[in-house]
Amino acid sequence: MKFIQQAIDKVKPAFEKGGKLEKYYFLFESIETFLFVPKETTLRKGVQIRDGVDLKRFMITVVIALLPALVFGTYNVGYQYYQATGLEPAGSWDLWWIGIQRVVPIVIVSYVFGLFITEFAFSVIRQHPINEGFLVTGILIPMVLPPTIPLWQVAVATVFAVVIAKEAFGGTGMNVLNVALVARAFLYFAYPGFMSGDQVWVYLGGHTPVDGFSGATPLGIVASTVESGQNAVAALLEHGDHYSLGSMFYGLIPGSIGETSVLMILIGAVILMATGVGSWRIIVSGFAGAYLMALLLQVTGVNPYMQMAPVYHLVMGGLAFGIVFMATDPVTASQTNTGKWIYGAMIGVLTIIIRVLNPAYPEGIMLAILFMNVFAPLIDYYVVGANKKRRLKRATV
Amino acid sequence: MELVNLGIKSVFIDNMIFAYFLGMCSFLAVSKKVTTAIGLGAAVVFVLGITAPVNWLVQEYILKEGALTWLSADFAGLNLEFLQFIMFIAIIAAIVQLVEMVVEKFSPTLYGALGIFLPLIAVNCAILGGSLFMVQRDYTLAEAGVFGVGSGLGFMFAIVALAAVREKLKYSNVPDGLKGLGITMLITGLMGIAFKSFIGIAL
Repeated sequence: MKFIQQAIDKVKPAFEKGGKLEKYYFLFESIETFLFVPKETTLRKGVQIRDGVDLKRFMITVVIALLPALVFGTYNVGYQYYQATGLEPAGSWDLWWIGIQRVVPIVIVSYVFGLFITEFAFSVIRQHPINEGFLVTGILIPMVLPPTIPLWQVAVATVFAVVIAKEAFGGTGMNVLNVALVARAFLYFAYPGFMSGDQVWVYLGGHTPVDGFSGATPLGIVASTVESGQNAVAALLEHGDHYSLGSMFYGLIPGSIGETSVLMILIGAVILMATGVGSWRIIVSGFAGAYLMALLLQVTGVNPYMQMAPVYHLVMGGLAFGIVFMATDPVTASQTNTGKWIYGAMIGVLTIIIRVLNPAYPEGIMLAILFMNVFAPLIDYYVVGANKKRRLKRATV
Repeated sequence: MELVNLGIKSVFIDNMIFAYFLGMCSFLAVSKKVTTAIGLGAAVVFVLGITAPVNWLVQEYILKEGALTWLSADFAGLNLEFLQFIMFIAIIAAIVQLVEMVVEKFSPTLYGALGIFLPLIAVNCAILGGSLFMVQRDYTLAEAGVFGVGSGLGFMFAIVALAAVREKLKYSNVPDGLKGLGITMLITGLMGIAFKSFIGIAL
């Protein structure tokens, strides 16, 4: 590591004020700080910094929390491939290899187009430092996309989301909507054929699927029971054992790359909550809101989808992923503690409402989070206002 | 139950701003502060809630073909619908005047804050749009009232949310060229995506 440090120190003057490459200072700075994390330490005397957490460590924590789900998702892509094509893998390495071939290019495209092209360009034009915000966004975008997504679409969506939803507002920490979800919503509405339906969730690599294969996600299956009138749980089990409650929890099912395994997502949730990076209030209230709304629908329900046991809603689709990793985005969520309870609960409630009552969309978590992102500032506004009022009443002047 | 459904539908699903893009001018211009946005929203709710049923009465008893038969059977063939726009606008303008006087009397601060935009409600496309939708969709009198109030609430909902987002934007570092209306248009577009969550629900 010493020689890298020396090399960086050597070229540093050229990038500093007055140097030849002054324009590219922030480009240089981002690489330097990325490798050599804050050198500042507190002295033994005087003020102590209790916890020197900065943006970088914050973001790295989220990336670490995302890794279990990403690794599992990679494996799952390969697993689904062999399930659907009926081919015999020579060993478990083959499963990993298919997954890596599919997932790694998507991640690379998302980073190259988001970070190395868009963000670097903006940092040079607008002269603002490159933040680590995109580290998380760049890994979230592949995880919310189906494994069959064409790479050029990943590139287009990433650039769109970074420019319109983030850089137009001034960069990391200043956006209103979750950047990764804007990328997904963009693809969802621009290329619905690649983002919904039964055919996109399992990578087939040009092979014809085996007889009786159905790439339908659990949400698609239960949504169809509204018309057929069949019991929702029975309809799930008709498609095979992998749609039982327990299997859906472990997550070897078709779906977006990172969303299928609730178990892996919960490991991530524990990391986020233990380090205090993700708000436990949002996670708890999100799941509670979804559960209670589903329970209410179950009690009042008129069709099989409504009458389905609420716990199924928690393990299907992207609900867990969205609540744990996207709703807790500290920039776009409510900032106040009371606001976080309301914000999280509303996301859960809206997700179930969109899922069950809106036939246009099988999954609701994406739009529910975007919707609440829009209303988060309003929630904060009223929470702060109520707080002011309460304290004014207490004041004795 | 029908009326409740219609109300929910006109607030969320057929939102004036995000489903029909009506009333954009005041939506973009008067959304800098939450308090003024609430004021304007309330005024729109009030005006829409009154004009829709009043215009319904006018349409039903004066303008429609054969509507004037209550006056005399001779008018059975008379169709005054070509006067629809001008009549609706005149009624809206009169009611806006009424609202303006009420606001000035009871809340001078709000009156000052709304400024020119209060009289401009008269030409707010959402208001006229509300009346025309009501005719087009053959609403009854009660439905017209619920639809008017619901559409107004949808507008208020949207403009207050936008105002809160814009207040938060004070902490953002928006590029110079996008400051003001530019970034507001972008936010409106992104909010439109978020509001798509309800479009498609059949009540």
